[in-house]
Amino acid sequence: MRISDLEKLKNEGVENLPSEERRRFLKFGLSVTGVFLSGSVLSLAAARNVHGAVEVLPPQAQKFPYSPHYSMVIRQNRCVDCERCKEACAKTNHVPSYGYRTTILEMERESGPGQTERIFMPVLCNHCNRPPCVRVCPTKATFKDKKTGIVVMDYKKCIGCKTCMAACPYNARYFKEENRAVDKCNFCFDTRLSKGETQTACAAACPADVRVFGDLSDTNSRVYKLIHAPEKVAWVLRPETGALPNIYYMND
Amino acid sequence: MNIDHKGVAKFLSMLAFASLLLVLGGQAIGEEEYDEDTYGPKAPIIFTAPVKAVIFTHKIHTMDAGLSCDSCHDTFFEMEIGAAEKKDDFTMQSLYDGKYCGGCHDGQTAFASNTRCTVCHIGVKGFDRLQGGPKTDAHGGGHH
Repeated sequence: MRISDLEKLKNEGVENLPSEERRRFLKFGLSVTGVFLSGSVLSLAAARNVHGAVEVLPPQAQKFPYSPHYSMVIRQNRCVDCERCKEACAKTNHVPSYGYRTTILEMERESGPGQTERIFMPVLCNHCNRPPCVRVCPTKATFKDKKTGIVVMDYKKCIGCKTCMAACPYNARYFKEENRAVDKCNFCFDTRLSKGETQTACAAACPADVRVFGDLSDTNSRVYKLIHAPEKVAWVLRPETGALPNIYYMND
Repeated sequence: MNIDHKGVAKFLSMLAFASLLLVLGGQAIGEEEYDEDTYGPKAPIIFTAPVKAVIFTHKIHTMDAGLSCDSCHDTFFEMEIGAAEKKDDFTMQSLYDGKYCGGCHDGQTAFASNTRCTVCHIGVKGFDRLQGGPKTDAHGGGHH
């Protein structure tokens, strides 16, 4: 079946499918919404431009929607929740104590009979290619930067309606009282990247090299190489929303 | 009906007795155990440097795994509280080089230091929990 045909089908959701069916559906879903296996990058263009899954073409860098196409690969199992990333972020971007631009989630997972494993999951704005927050903003106070694809805020335009906060699938926004506006991660664009730094504050502060930040359209970048390593399995959070996030997760 | 009642009563009393035995037995097993002189301090050691936070429990290593004091003291760790944290080389790299925890956590004697990170690394969250709930001034919590 061709992608062009599939696009015409109505999305039936995954809630009511039996698990076998669901698994197959998800497997397909992965290829068009952003989780990908064995080094194929398929989340980076809108589904109508994806040929990789069907025609087995290698992903082409010139098809990346942005240049630089900023992205972060989070090597989840290296995270030990030291939270230096949070501290660095808060300091760099003046994040108040009641909010966050990035944080660490904690899970306990069964890893065997009577055994559990603790997992720390760093989260931040996913700088989606189809950002639900941008779609719902009534004043265009939040938008995709045309060059880099970073989802940015224009505080002056923000009226504080918080619709974007409700729309965000990643809970990556908070209302900053000091600004009377919603605040969020912008990959340290104003505080670091625009000043010549190549790393975000969080990535630079991480002692365990969990957060790898870079330009996914640059075939020599670490993010590109990690994402394309054939032996690696990478995933994104909440692919079912169709937001095409640019934060990838993998285990090292 | 009568018989039923008696049967139920009998069963319940047996159950109560059995559970009493279990509780007493459990306590006895529990009590006979932890001797700090033999097994080291009962309270977990929490390292907060160079990263927050790493937990070490004497019980797991001594009473459960059968190590003696001189398995680690003073070859890998001094007994003084905080001695290791004061040193500049108390890092993961040192562990990989066979120092500190790496003396055993080498993949042969015990799981390798570069695996299963979160068994020992409890993070800021784990640290806060041990201190009795998260600090309110930490950059964390929710967005609310």
